[in-house]
Amino acid sequence: MLRAMAVTAIRTSRLTKDYGIGRGLFDLDLEVSPQEVFGYLGPNGAGKTTTIRCLMGMIRPSSGTAHIFGLDCRRDSVAVKRKVGYLPGDIPQFGSLRGKEVVAYLAGMRGGVDAKTVRSIAERFDLDLGRRFREYSSGNKQKLGILLAFMHRPELLILDEPTSGLDPLNQQEFYALLRESRDGGATVFLSSHILAEVEHVCDRVGILRAGRLATVAQLEDLQHIRAHRVEIEFAQDAQIPEAAIRSAAGVEDVHVDGQHVSCSVRGSFEPLFDAIRSAKVTDLVSTEPSLEEIFLSYYSETPTAAPAPKALPE
Amino acid sequence: MTAVVLGLRLGRWGVVGFSGLAFFSSLVQTVAFFQLAGHTSAERAAFGKSMTQLASSLTLILPPPMRLDTVGGYVEWRSFGGLAIVFAVWALVSAGGAARGDEERGLVEVVLAASLTRFGWIASRITGFAAASFVAAATGGLGLVVGTINSDESVSLRGVLEQSVVLAALALSCYALTLLVGQLTSARIATAAAGVLLLSLFLVNTLSRTFTSLTSVRWLSPFHYYELNHPLAPGAELDVRATAVLLLIAVLAGGAAAVAFASRDLWSPLLRLPVRSQPTSHEIPRNPVWRIPVLRGLYERRLGLLVWSAGIAFLGAVFVSVTKTIIQPLMSIPALTQFFGAFVQGRLYTSFLGLFWFNTAELLFAAFAIAQVVRWSAEDSDGRLEVILSQPHSRAAVVVERALVLALGAAVIATLSGVAVAIASHNQAMDVNSERLAEGSLLLVPFALVFAAAGSVLAAWNPRAAVGLLGAFAFVSYMIAELGPLFKWPAWLQDFSAFKLFGMPLSSGIDRTGLLAMIAIIIVGFGASILLMERRDVGA
Repeated sequence: MLRAMAVTAIRTSRLTKDYGIGRGLFDLDLEVSPQEVFGYLGPNGAGKTTTIRCLMGMIRPSSGTAHIFGLDCRRDSVAVKRKVGYLPGDIPQFGSLRGKEVVAYLAGMRGGVDAKTVRSIAERFDLDLGRRFREYSSGNKQKLGILLAFMHRPELLILDEPTSGLDPLNQQEFYALLRESRDGGATVFLSSHILAEVEHVCDRVGILRAGRLATVAQLEDLQHIRAHRVEIEFAQDAQIPEAAIRSAAGVEDVHVDGQHVSCSVRGSFEPLFDAIRSAKVTDLVSTEPSLEEIFLSYYSETPTAAPAPKALPE
Repeated sequence: MTAVVLGLRLGRWGVVGFSGLAFFSSLVQTVAFFQLAGHTSAERAAFGKSMTQLASSLTLILPPPMRLDTVGGYVEWRSFGGLAIVFAVWALVSAGGAARGDEERGLVEVVLAASLTRFGWIASRITGFAAASFVAAATGGLGLVVGTINSDESVSLRGVLEQSVVLAALALSCYALTLLVGQLTSARIATAAAGVLLLSLFLVNTLSRTFTSLTSVRWLSPFHYYELNHPLAPGAELDVRATAVLLLIAVLAGGAAAVAFASRDLWSPLLRLPVRSQPTSHEIPRNPVWRIPVLRGLYERRLGLLVWSAGIAFLGAVFVSVTKTIIQPLMSIPALTQFFGAFVQGRLYTSFLGLFWFNTAELLFAAFAIAQVVRWSAEDSDGRLEVILSQPHSRAAVVVERALVLALGAAVIATLSGVAVAIASHNQAMDVNSERLAEGSLLLVPFALVFAAAGSVLAAWNPRAAVGLLGAFAFVSYMIAELGPLFKWPAWLQDFSAFKLFGMPLSSGIDRTGLLAMIAIIIVGFGASILLMERRDVGA
């Protein structure tokens, strides 16, 4: 177990923070490996920020444990924070301090921050550190938060909705910075409800719903959970094998409109291809489900109770 | 109407706090009058004469009095004269928040998006504050009425109502002027700029009593029109024209503020000074101070520390300069002679200076400590504490660093104010024991830390309630210390006051028991706050 903890960047065991009336985080069992980029998905109020605050030692769990690189997040919080770069969900107000004063203050508290790294990150985000914090736009405040999280080249980055307020160009810059950090050996734990962001950068995804972990999967596995949408156009003189299509394994939601057939396919396409082999097909389009659709299907199918983790396709 | 209700809701704690302050101020001064002024008409005439002499020494702060031999005249001067300053400060802070603070928080944007016009927004805030200030002023009048129950002298309810209207009108004119200044300047300096304007208008009026060259411009000051009213003093009355001018100032300044607001962009001032373009900077400062614990906190607060130091040192010098002139009138009041007898030991001037200056300095250092607690609570609510704690620092280290920053800041202020008092008393040819003055000044540091320790416990327990609770603790403590000897309250009750711990260092040296008690409170308070901080959730 000690060996497992030593190689695990983040490990939680039945981590629970109960705020009452069903709010909070419940029985979270999670492991994130070193150099992994882990996306933590969930709608507002699902418990993403609560998880992050437990990991950062900001809040005390009601029960369960959380470890970062084998260190207890509460008991060894100072040692943990030496290894972590943290971007909170809401950038705090630094009032009339200049950006460079905020950086100097927090870098002074932390120690060991290289001025070259600060300059490099500020330059790539075109962040003017000479301006006062209160004059910053929300995007610039977010850039400053990113700079504060990355400035000491941490082993683990814990980022709560990191691209909030960033324009697309700066988002791309952020993704590049994230990949460079991962390639340099850092582990990333990133919460988001922006699925495109997760598709861009994450190796693995955990979906949280109503305080419980619904599933953890590789990104490509997750995309197979939901059926593909298939549109088939038959030749004008072709006889549509409607009965064979409807009875094919894994084929659902069949609609026939003239020579046009639409359906959903879950799993292998082979039964559908067998069913239409005898007819002349002029066009066939299969649409891969976006993560957005997968995400929506997760939260629309069981709206009241927390879902049990779904079985992933073989 | 909805916007007016919103304005009142945003300022509800201000209404409650200032109503309470006005009520207690009037009640205490009313009761004090019946305690001090005697019972026969001859005694009261003598009291009125002595107090008029005293009033002539306090014209820099309080308005000229009328009929100080009556409870109405005395309370009008002693309580409502001081409340004019208090209500002006309330107006300044409240209007500063309404003019730019709500805008910074995004509230104004949301309200304007909900189809309220800019004129409507300004009008609703002025209407809301008018109602709030009248309620608070009338509650002050109620304190006077309650204080005269079962006494041999009554006050006219009409006079009380008129005094409330005048005080509310003064507050409203200050509020509208602050709103106007808030439209012209950047959000960062809006409240400070309005504060400078109101202070200038206040000083123009008070200094015109001494410097005749200023009498030609005092018509500019709303405080001048406030002073022309004497609705509580028998034989005098409300000056309708002066009150109308106060309301006219409010209307004109409020209208100008609305026009200015309609003419500017949100988050931008109407008047923009040309800004020298600066090259984009990607560098962090090389100043080593940022890397040194405690010093970085002091450096970050350097401007505030400078203002506190200069302000308290200036007040110290002023107190020294008025000490000689106010002693004789005070000592001619028999009841006060008995009261001061408990404090005056040895040299008369030194004892009085110790009493007046250090009493005031205690209040100011308590206020300094409360201001730091306000900051700690704000750090908690605006997320700064979360970012600070995400650095490799323990919660205990954060509490200890806060305490040390406050202690060093208080030491700087105490040293500078002590030096100012020493120089001023030397110039006034007052023989002050410099060693005791230095000890007394430095004793203000642990005194401030007592309030800081209490505030630290409260901020660790419940940051949202911390400032209100600490303010109430300071107010009750001060009231016990001030009124206990006057009304001969039991010793055990007086011992509850934090102000009692300070003692009388200038006349009788440092009270070692008080000092040890202060040190014990500081250790226990900060120790408890470390334990509470370790256990509480941050950012939840």
